[in-house]
Amino acid sequence: MSKALFVLSVYVAGLVFIFLQHAFGQGEYKFDLAEIEKEIKKKPYHIGGFLEFRPVLFSLDQESAFHKLRFFDQDEGTTLEQYNFGLRLEGSYQKGIASLYFRTDSRLWYDYQGRDGDIDLQEGYLSLKPGPIFTLETGKKVVQWGKGYAFNPVAFVSRPKDPDDPAEALEGYYVVMADLIKSFGGPLKTLAFTPAILPATESINDDFGTLNHINFAAKLYFLLWDTDLDILFFTGESRTTRYGFDFAGNIKTNFEIHGELAWITDFDKKSIDSEGNLSTEESDILRCLLGIRYLTANEITFTVEYYHNGGGIDKDDAENLFRFVDHAYDTFLDTGDSVQLDKAARLSRSTLAALKPMRDYLYFRAGWKEPFDILYFTPAVTSIINLTDRSLSITPELVYSPETNLELRLRGTFLTGDKNTEYGEKQNDYKVELRIRYYFN
Amino acid sequence: MIKKLLSMILMCMCLCLAVPACSDDGDAILQKVDRNLNPEAFEMYRKLINLEPDGSKKEFIMYSIKKGRDRIASVFISPASEKGRATLRLGENIWLYIPNVGKPIRITSLQSVTGGIFNNADIMRLDYSAEYNCEKMEQQEGLLMLHLKAKTGSVAYDSLKMWVDDKKLLPDKIECFASSGMLIKTLYFKKITDFGNGLVRPAVVETDSPLHKGYKSIMVFVRMKKRDLPDEAFTLNFLSRVENLR
Repeated sequence: MSKALFVLSVYVAGLVFIFLQHAFGQGEYKFDLAEIEKEIKKKPYHIGGFLEFRPVLFSLDQESAFHKLRFFDQDEGTTLEQYNFGLRLEGSYQKGIASLYFRTDSRLWYDYQGRDGDIDLQEGYLSLKPGPIFTLETGKKVVQWGKGYAFNPVAFVSRPKDPDDPAEALEGYYVVMADLIKSFGGPLKTLAFTPAILPATESINDDFGTLNHINFAAKLYFLLWDTDLDILFFTGESRTTRYGFDFAGNIKTNFEIHGELAWITDFDKKSIDSEGNLSTEESDILRCLLGIRYLTANEITFTVEYYHNGGGIDKDDAENLFRFVDHAYDTFLDTGDSVQLDKAARLSRSTLAALKPMRDYLYFRAGWKEPFDILYFTPAVTSIINLTDRSLSITPELVYSPETNLELRLRGTFLTGDKNTEYGEKQNDYKVELRIRYYFN
Repeated sequence: MIKKLLSMILMCMCLCLAVPACSDDGDAILQKVDRNLNPEAFEMYRKLINLEPDGSKKEFIMYSIKKGRDRIASVFISPASEKGRATLRLGENIWLYIPNVGKPIRITSLQSVTGGIFNNADIMRLDYSAEYNCEKMEQQEGLLMLHLKAKTGSVAYDSLKMWVDDKKLLPDKIECFASSGMLIKTLYFKKITDFGNGLVRPAVVETDSPLHKGYKSIMVFVRMKKRDLPDEAFTLNFLSRVENLR
């Protein structure tokens, strides 16, 4: 009896405490200048990062081409679950003009195949900053060139962004790069030159292109009147020579426009015939992007981007691949022979399995910051439309930060499209994902 | 004749007194207010506190540098989830740099990098005289009241009413209005503090808004001091390195 009373007392006391805390806390604040002084004291080193838990539920489309390629010899049902655990660690150390920076991602996941994990060095480089106008950096670093939000055709020395999650950090390449900045008083406000050297060997940057070559890239940046302009260039034996141009400017304070244009020489354009044979043809291609960002009075931000990939797979080639997969799958069901399916899998990996591999896409995102007075809450909806075959993905999401350093994101991605279209033939009908991140330092 | 002339002069004088002070005086006072609030080139730390009606709060600390009337750069030091996020403002252009994501993206002065009632125009504030003209000045309750009108349509607030201490020439309160005449928010300047080297100004700015009843945001200024800064520190390429200036 006394134990029950004790528990009840603690419970009531807790409720009263919470009530009083809120009642008296309303509108009041305290700050201690000495405490702030302590918080702003600079240390030569920094360690931080986040812990992440991300469960994902996939609803499988058992009639789709990519499902047949992956699950042709197994029955995993109509849904799959995946549980992901992540730790990002990043740190820096500064002494004089030199500083070191690293970022690692450690991941553990559990799904229908069992448990697995990996650890990657995403970035790790040394910077020398003898003054504000010159910086020299060497090591593994993300070199993010371009003005696009979801696509960056002029990012010649970066891995491609995932347009389904473009704000996620990328893995860098090993580079040596410099940065020279000069400011002026006239219409040309800033001029900056950024050259980069990127070697590709069996031990570093082995996925960049043809190995055992040293590649060169450069960017010349102008802030002319109120417009950002970049002229970009890449040459080397690992990839073909390419030239780029981008711009970004505000038409009004709440209306931004940006664009990118990349001219890629001697590009191997791929095509697939109805027998599943891959052929390539060398030609110069254009990749370009035009986008806007618009903010309404009630804080809804619209981002719209049109992306043209001149080297992308066209509609007929994609249909040929999907029909070939269907044919290979039927052959497997009839004979038990998976040779044709293996060939189709190789073919898809080198063509349609890439990020946004086809010709023309439209990216749309609308995010509403803190609606209905809910602080740190942003609902958003994103859609990527394949303009070539009229298939699309729709991703509604809710992002909320209820406490300092805690971020929750709930999102669902729904894919729709006819037979023999990119999104119609994806492995999933939809997926639902919860991401919980706790940041620390 | 002389009587007539004198009475005409007197009438003219009365008329002049009845009309509020001319805008030139107001603009000169506004420029003095700007210089009293901060030197031409300086660095500072700020703690931003967002308070919600239920008493919960969220705090941010940022380091900022400013040069001239319209160049300012800031970087978040804490919390961990925001650390390294940097913003650059050159006149009406504002960019946000998110670490790891890479390139800076253009944002607008109406958005808020922290959430809460302060928006980018408040956090990355330019000199008032860079964005506003004084249209009218009057004496009110022992304070000077400046009626300020935005120089262009791209300024975050269409007009301001600024109450200024006529001796210290520091703002006491500012009301911010939309072009429709609607009150968007009110800023209250508190706790006048000596930051050294002759800089005496309010160390606390509070804000509330009729649009967000019960919410309040506070900005606490720490270690504000004059500093010579290179022009290159206010460029996009330098944005990822602003924290190195600390």
